Amino acid sequence: MKAFTARDGEAVAVLDEDERLVIARIVADVGLLLGGEDFGAEHHSGLPHREDLAEALSFLDSLEEALVEPDDPALRRLLPNAAPTDREVADEFRRLTQDELKASKVARLRRMWDDLRQETDDWVVPASEVMATASALTDVRLVIASRLGLDSDEAAQELHEEIQRATEEMEHASAAEAGIDAERLWLGMLYDALTWLQESLVSVRLDQE
Amino acid sequence: MGTREQVETTAGADARLADPWVTIVWNDPVNLMSYVTRVFQEYFRLPRTEAEARMREVHEQGRSVLSHGSREQMEVDVQAMHGYGLWATLQRSGQ
Repeated sequence: MKAFTARDGEAVAVLDEDERLVIARIVADVGLLLGGEDFGAEHHSGLPHREDLAEALSFLDSLEEALVEPDDPALRRLLPNAAPTDREVADEFRRLTQDELKASKVARLRRMWDDLRQETDDWVVPASEVMATASALTDVRLVIASRLGLDSDEAAQELHEEIQRATEEMEHASAAEAGIDAERLWLGMLYDALTWLQESLVSVRLDQE
Repeated sequence: MGTREQVETTAGADARLADPWVTIVWNDPVNLMSYVTRVFQEYFRLPRTEAEARMREVHEQGRSVLSHGSREQMEVDVQAMHGYGLWATLQRSGQ
């Protein structure tokens, strides 16, 4: 994976097929969570039966199961309460805005999913789509963060340190031997990778700006 | 005393009428400082230094008031912030 850099006035990252596959999959999951259509039949059935990816994708299966609960905290994070101390204002806001917010988030995720399903390692984001793509990445990160229980700056920092420690330990032992929660580690690494991608995308200076 | 109180009450009421509602953006552990700065630049049309100052206020104080106006205007701003994935709320000014 190579972070976004400027190329001919566009932001371009480089992701191999596996990386695109995993990210496209979680993008589709977040789309489903928001009540969007399934981003493609191949989302499930067309996945290559690859031993090396089976474990990783099984983690996303369990994430998907956790996300279908109606009072899912991840969904509440995507569509937060706009007035926690005033029920009338909060309900009115939800009534007025929720469908539109969901639709715009799903449309943005869908565009990102389409990009990731291209058969090229280059992920090209034109200047006009930089903020929409960064926003869609935020939504995906919010969902993973909710699943990982990242509810404070300290918790986010701790996760980062936990991943570094676990990565070092796993050079000498398997996750099970080292007492590491492989699913949490894997989701944490995905979160870190998406954070890094988003940071690079937002930091790219394109000619038009 | 009575007169002075009267003046203060009237001035306060005027201020509330002019800007009765506010949009507040809250700190969260997910959103990146660079991203929040760009959102403030893009949506609120703040110059970069001002956008960075507001971002720092959110990060360090936990919240920042980003706009004032009618309830309807604040609903539009809060909806936009939620669109960007930021945690924003609206409330009556001075609450």
